[in-house]
Amino acid sequence: MNALIKLELARALRNRKFLFFSVIYPSIIFLLVASQGGTGATVDNSGLSVAAYVMVSMASFGALTAVLMGNSERIAKERESGWVRQLRLTTLPGRGYVLAKTASAAVVSLPSIVVVFLVAASVKHVRLDAWQWFALTGAIWAGSLVFAALGVAIGYLASGDAVRPITMITYFGLSILGGLWWPSSSFPTWLQDIAKWLPTHAYAALGRAIEQSQAPKAQDIAILVVFFALFVGGAAWLYRKDTLKA
Amino acid sequence: MVVGFDQVSKTYGNVRAVDGLSLRLHPGETVALLGPNGAGKSTTLDLLLGLKQADTGTVSVFGLSPREAIVAGRVGAMLQSGGLMDEVTVAELVKLACQLHPKPYKVTDVLARAGISQIADRKVNKLSGGQSQRVRFALATAGDSDLIVLDEPTTGMDVSARQAFWATMREQADQGRTVLFATHYLEEADAIADRVLVLHRGRLLADGTAAEIKAKAGARRISFDLEGEIDEAPLRALPFLTAATVSKSGSAAGSGQTVRMQSSDADATVHALYGLGLYPRNLEVAGLGLEQAFVAITEAEEAKEATQS
Repeated sequence: MNALIKLELARALRNRKFLFFSVIYPSIIFLLVASQGGTGATVDNSGLSVAAYVMVSMASFGALTAVLMGNSERIAKERESGWVRQLRLTTLPGRGYVLAKTASAAVVSLPSIVVVFLVAASVKHVRLDAWQWFALTGAIWAGSLVFAALGVAIGYLASGDAVRPITMITYFGLSILGGLWWPSSSFPTWLQDIAKWLPTHAYAALGRAIEQSQAPKAQDIAILVVFFALFVGGAAWLYRKDTLKA
Repeated sequence: MVVGFDQVSKTYGNVRAVDGLSLRLHPGETVALLGPNGAGKSTTLDLLLGLKQADTGTVSVFGLSPREAIVAGRVGAMLQSGGLMDEVTVAELVKLACQLHPKPYKVTDVLARAGISQIADRKVNKLSGGQSQRVRFALATAGDSDLIVLDEPTTGMDVSARQAFWATMREQADQGRTVLFATHYLEEADAIADRVLVLHRGRLLADGTAAEIKAKAGARRISFDLEGEIDEAPLRALPFLTAATVSKSGSAAGSGQTVRMQSSDADATVHALYGLGLYPRNLEVAGLGLEQAFVAITEAEEAKEATQS
């Protein structure tokens, strides 16, 4: 399986468009959004500067892009082309394909997190303790697994032309409604009530709690765990259905 | 025993793709699987490779389940619909196949044997149809497997590529491997296979050497030219005929016609032909090609089914 992970990774790193959108693009949006707030301003009583607040949003957004897009479209495409069937004629265990895809997506998502942090620290002078930087990286990286599982589920659910629109709607829907682009506190109340139950909202809240040196809220962790179980269960069910059909 | 199918059936909705199929493959055989479209060839191969599960009956490969045989590295396979991972090079993909095989060959050897050393650095998604087929073949032969399964392996290849392909395939068979391939090019089955399986509506219609299949069809071809106007009725009434056609020939004389017929007893038919007082020229009597034998066998089966229902 390591062989497949290596090859998947080599391919991902060769794909400039994918690298741009998952590694560079979040940092660009960070700079654009962070520059709008004044240096002294804080966001919705969090005590965090605009730059620190947006930094977590964009690191989460970058990791989400890498794992969601990396999984869903490729799996749908390779299912259709018959590559998945061909792999089933090798010694690779059944789950090996999905795990290799997720592992390689996770390797790409790490730089997308770190690049946003580097830009935030050097250009926007975000300062945190060393433990906070490490905890942030770990939390955002680990949390991205929730969306990697979602990507796998979409890849096995949709096929052909349908996978791109479904991925895009899910991706932008979760990003915007979860408050990764604008703070969800700027939403109307009814929308805020929806937003706080989204996995992306809980995901970013996790990072912000670390920035505030607080323990993450139990509700946010519970939301992430429930969604993770839901997405993994759905992906496993769809995978088994696809295997029987192929 | 390499492969054993025991009363295997597989149904999709109302369609019986494979219907009580029993067959055995023995070590070292090169076996062709023939059948018209929808005969159940692909389903049979899918069952053999564990890509599909039989509704009833059992499939064993080297005494193991198909999946166990693959994990043990005993089976190499090339699928008709086998897509390839894109955006990687041919060499990278072949290397992956070698790494995944329990008894791998060296990557350079696999590339050379499949005849793709020159395109090793090319991206997989930039290959022609025939080149892709060769890459698939390389994936199927990346290690020391005892059984090689090929589904329509020469689709998309031109004639010379096909010949080169079968030469490499024969090398595999000469090393004592069992080779099973499905094809719709009957001349390939005729030239390469030791044994031919004819599948029709999910059942085994014929099983034997190409010569035996032709004999089973039971007919020989007779052709000759006749001068002048021909009365077709007595020709069609000749004994033992299975088919007869009369056509204007393009001969210089202009008035001659060519008659072609198929007979289950060519000697008796020709004897009766002379009995009509005719003077056939350019008389030829020949065995049926596998293709005509195949058509004859499947048509006879369909006629039988039509009378039964």
